[in-house]
Amino acid sequence: MPSITYFQPDGTHTTLDVDPATSVMRAAVNAGVPGIIGECGGQAMCATCHVYVRPESLSGLPEPSEDEEEMLDCTAAPRHPARSRLGCQIACGEADALAVDVPTDQV
Amino acid sequence: MTPLSASPPVHAGEHAAPVADWVRIEDLYTNPYPIYRRLREEAPVAWVPSVGRYLVTRYADCHWIEQDAETFSANEDGSLMKRAMGHSMLRKDDPEHQVDRAAYGPVLRPKAIKETWTAIFEKNAEKYLDAFEAQGSGADLHLGFAAPFAAENLREIMGFRNATKDDMQRWSQTMIDGTGNYADDPEVWAKSAASSAEVDAAIDELVPVLRADPDATLLSAVVGAGLPLEAIRANMKMTIGGGLNEPRDVLGTAAWALLSSPGQLAQVLADPALWATAFEEAVRWVAPIGMYPRQTTREVALGGATLPRGARIGVVLGAANRDPEQFDDPETYNINREKKPHLAFGGGAHFCAGTWVARTSVANVALPRLFERFPQLRLADRPAREGGWVFRGMLELPVAWN
Repeated sequence: MPSITYFQPDGTHTTLDVDPATSVMRAAVNAGVPGIIGECGGQAMCATCHVYVRPESLSGLPEPSEDEEEMLDCTAAPRHPARSRLGCQIACGEADALAVDVPTDQV
Repeated sequence: MTPLSASPPVHAGEHAAPVADWVRIEDLYTNPYPIYRRLREEAPVAWVPSVGRYLVTRYADCHWIEQDAETFSANEDGSLMKRAMGHSMLRKDDPEHQVDRAAYGPVLRPKAIKETWTAIFEKNAEKYLDAFEAQGSGADLHLGFAAPFAAENLREIMGFRNATKDDMQRWSQTMIDGTGNYADDPEVWAKSAASSAEVDAAIDELVPVLRADPDATLLSAVVGAGLPLEAIRANMKMTIGGGLNEPRDVLGTAAWALLSSPGQLAQVLADPALWATAFEEAVRWVAPIGMYPRQTTREVALGGATLPRGARIGVVLGAANRDPEQFDDPETYNINREKKPHLAFGGGAHFCAGTWVARTSVANVALPRLFERFPQLRLADRPAREGGWVFRGMLELPVAWN
């Protein structure tokens, strides 16, 4: 089973074993990982599941859709040109592991 | 029409929800917040006979409901909204809901707002601020500016080129009144049905025009998406009902809160980035949609009570947004409070489709333009009035300027 690791701004982290298709947002919300809200339930509409994907996890991810792209301009914490993604739009897929940094603000 | 029962759908176990027979609708309308406080503390999931629903008032429980659409269905039996407006996406569950929602496409999303709608919001702000200024100091900001501004924005986004902002306001209010017509007043139904027929006629006239010559509007999007006529009609009526009063009311509430707190107003005027904060705190403080319905699809434990299958629930966002477990000093309007998520836009699949329209039109355009136009704006001697609980906002907001 692949895993997702969430690194918090205070330096702590949580690792979750997940189904390959479970999104970074859904896994975090179900497990109560702080700092990932997912208000809109995964329709790329609220920008409250913003994460910074760690560089080593970037290569396997699909490009952001148009909906995700516009929403990344609406995040509470600054957008990073390469690493910012919506957690509801990415999952492990083929990868064994994903590592993401949780931003300081979602609202 | 199924009349509302005066007693809960029988459940007399030891975990039956407490009955809050002391809650009166007229008190909710005047000021629901002391009632919400008592409900949260004494009976966070309570059967409220006057309303004919279980009211859920704690943040955590409301949030829980929003995340579990399988247990808490939006497709309510005997819904007055379905009768007044037809069966819109607001009363559907996925996957049926998703079909309608997808048909709205990018029209209400940030990119379209930036490219198409912001210029219209700016034009309408200038136009209706001119008209408001002409009324002279002492005028009512609610009816004099907030209402026409919100109505004209919505008219243009939806694409009702064959209607006026006054039609939009009449349609919206009469169909909302139908949605809330628990007293089954025939006159209310007659007005609601008349508006519904007018909307149908306006849509029927526009469908062939937009099919031949599509544009950026919502009507054009749903026509282009091939939504059946019945679904187009219902969703347009829902959007007329749900897209006008809410931006109007948050505009009024935010203006009232800031005018009542000169220190916070000065802070916002010194840092325009805070308009967004002032807006967000206004929808937290007085959620324009204070309550929405759900119905259980199975027996479920919630907030210390066990609800039977088929239980009609009122998810009270107005109470959740003032839960001290979520917000310190929740009854106070405070733009400097710790940033935390609120539930004013709902959550899950039904997260408000108009969220970004409201944020942009009110926080980025209307509020800054208002205070720019009237640098000395202040509350007039005649007192401001607010009302409502299912929908809550200003009833009158008299303001003065030099």
